[in-house]
Amino acid sequence: MIPALEEEEDLARAYRRTLSTFLHSPSEEALAGAYQLGRRALKEGKGVIDWAGVHDRALAALPMTLLGPEGLARAGTFYRESLSPFEMTQRGYAETNRWLERLNAELRREISAKESLAAQLQEANASLESFSYSVAHDLRAPLRAISGFSDALIQDLGETVKPTSARFLQRISAGAIRMGQLIDALLGLARVSRVELARSSVSLSDLAGTVLEHLKASESARVIEAVVEPDLVAQGDPALLRALLENLIGNAWKFTSKTDQARIEIGRAPSGAEPAYFVRDNGPGFDMAYAAKLFEPFQRLHSAQEFPGTGIGLATVHRIVRRHGGRIWAEATVGGGATFYFTLPKGDEHGPSV
Amino acid sequence: MGRPSKILLLVEDNNDDETLTLMALETNRITNEVVVARDGAEALDFLFGTGAHAGRDVSVQPQVVLLDLNLPKIGGIEVLRRLRADERTRFLPVVVLTSSKEEEDILKSYMHGANAYVRKPIEFAEFAEAVRTLGLFWLIQNESAPRAK
Repeated sequence: MIPALEEEEDLARAYRRTLSTFLHSPSEEALAGAYQLGRRALKEGKGVIDWAGVHDRALAALPMTLLGPEGLARAGTFYRESLSPFEMTQRGYAETNRWLERLNAELRREISAKESLAAQLQEANASLESFSYSVAHDLRAPLRAISGFSDALIQDLGETVKPTSARFLQRISAGAIRMGQLIDALLGLARVSRVELARSSVSLSDLAGTVLEHLKASESARVIEAVVEPDLVAQGDPALLRALLENLIGNAWKFTSKTDQARIEIGRAPSGAEPAYFVRDNGPGFDMAYAAKLFEPFQRLHSAQEFPGTGIGLATVHRIVRRHGGRIWAEATVGGGATFYFTLPKGDEHGPSV
Repeated sequence: MGRPSKILLLVEDNNDDETLTLMALETNRITNEVVVARDGAEALDFLFGTGAHAGRDVSVQPQVVLLDLNLPKIGGIEVLRRLRADERTRFLPVVVLTSSKEEEDILKSYMHGANAYVRKPIEFAEFAEAVRTLGLFWLIQNESAPRAK
């Protein structure tokens, strides 16, 4: 037993030494040494699997500096050469085959495990879809009843209603309406993660112009100076990029509602490897200490009395930018307005993060 | 008997929504007769004079059908499909009136021949306005397809 063990150690040592030599300077001699070592192992009754172990241990014992990509490729050549004596024997073939079969079986197990995971994921997604659908459909009906019948009650009571009671009923109705808005916003957020990205060339300038026109039409009394840099073109999903600008420009519009000489600017600024687009306003801004919370759902930096909102808009924007592989950040000062920057890298460089 | 007044068929399973729709019609002084069907099967029975409505004079058809999508027994889309497949109801104006604004629902409705798609607003004033517009257009302004003799 002991001599055999020593012999084995001797063989393994020889293998490591010769491999090390080959890695330092790949010569024909060293490669021939691999072949000789393989023959010796075969003669001593080693199997292919034992031999793979010898190779692995030799690799583990070698300094990392020798094992760059090139080094590893060389080690592979060396190992294959040392295996060729095994392959020339019947036993070698049989063992190699068994070994490969075992590897194949392992791979098949891994694949089927992954497939079942994928099936589970698909199932989870489908049930999430049907859940969102129920949320959209079934939760809105009771809200309509709450809002509708509160209004009907105010009508019914007519002159006899106490002013406080009328106000309470109005607040019940307003609460239901607000919950409806929250549900819609949450569904919008869910949709961003769900839809497949359809990338094309999108003019952010045109989109911004359309969004601004809609806002102006909805509140024609407001005087706002809006500046859109021409020729802002990005690669992305047109519907999602529209939602992105609707949210950012909508925010700028909302937060400048109490600002004299309100101004909204949409443009491009140099930033690292790719340009950052920005939406800037001269509204009340915010304290940068809270900037990290901005993009989380339901986080608001202003009270609903000051500026209404669902607290979902920037979370949606964040998710849209992330799905495009981009970054988003904000710069603001209290009383000095806010600027939201985002990048949209080219599609082929950054796959969609699902 | 004089000319039958223009009927409106409301296909709605939710009792609250039914009341709200009737209230909205009343608010807007739309006094047409409203027939309410509480599921898709009942709606088809009314339109084709079958089941509980066997023997009904089916030459009298509603001026417009307000159709919810999520209905017991037979869903709204299936109701639409069967209406469009039948000569008698092929051109019957159908307005889908539902909670959903899922793209898929909207697309499916139009694919199966809906004439319009309206999402029920939560705010009653908005809901009443939507019903007013619908009533004005479908009950007064719109000319229905001439009936096949």
